[in-house]
Amino acid sequence: MSTDPVVKTIHVALSPQAAFDLFTKRIGDWWPVETFSVSAGQGKPSQSVTLAGGIGSEIVEIAADGSRHVWGTVRDWAPGKSFVTTWHPGREASFATKLLVAFASEGDGTRVTLTHSNWDVLGEEAVSSREGYDGGWVVVLGQFEAAV
Amino acid sequence: MAYQSAFSALADPTRRAVFEHLANAPSSVTALADKLPVSRPAVSQHLKVLSDAGLITVRSKGTRRIYAASPDKLAELRAWLDTMWDQALSAFAAQAEKDSAQ
Repeated sequence: MSTDPVVKTIHVALSPQAAFDLFTKRIGDWWPVETFSVSAGQGKPSQSVTLAGGIGSEIVEIAADGSRHVWGTVRDWAPGKSFVTTWHPGREASFATKLLVAFASEGDGTRVTLTHSNWDVLGEEAVSSREGYDGGWVVVLGQFEAAV
Repeated sequence: MAYQSAFSALADPTRRAVFEHLANAPSSVTALADKLPVSRPAVSQHLKVLSDAGLITVRSKGTRRIYAASPDKLAELRAWLDTMWDQALSAFAAQAEKDSAQ
């Protein structure tokens, strides 16, 4: 039902490590910034989207107008296996959702599985400073203002 | 930008709490103000924004107005999120394809 996490999975012909590196440190090589970015919501694709990698690193967008937007902060980092990041593009960090991406060897490639859910699913791990509001499933909804 | 007002409406945490409550059960303004740490005037204001964004519906029950979340809009927003991840992963897969061809 509509309150469940979004789960997506694909197979790519890369090793788990290569798939992991492409997804994370090379996010700028593939993220569709012309349709999904804070900048796209302003009518132009971003200049860049980067992620340095490692716990505490941020996914950062530099919009067409030069403004800087943090989409999320890495909470867990297991190169070649999985990573977890908060996800709040275009919004404050205190109302973040959770993004988990896992990479598993499959055949001669990798099965990539993405799970986008509400932090409440983790209970105690919920992001702090929610001002008493529990979040609920609605927080799972995407925040970009897509250029549709 | 079809969903801009809906996403903007839901960006406010208190308003999201009101909407979340309505998604669970239709309510009147009084019932919402009783259940949430929000005053009646504030609830009314939030309901107006949610209504303008097409996220809630209202019907009259005697002298009361009962608000409820709009299932169609919820489904649309959910579908948008779903589409976003489909497109992002397609783009990822396309680049992975190029990488693997080298």
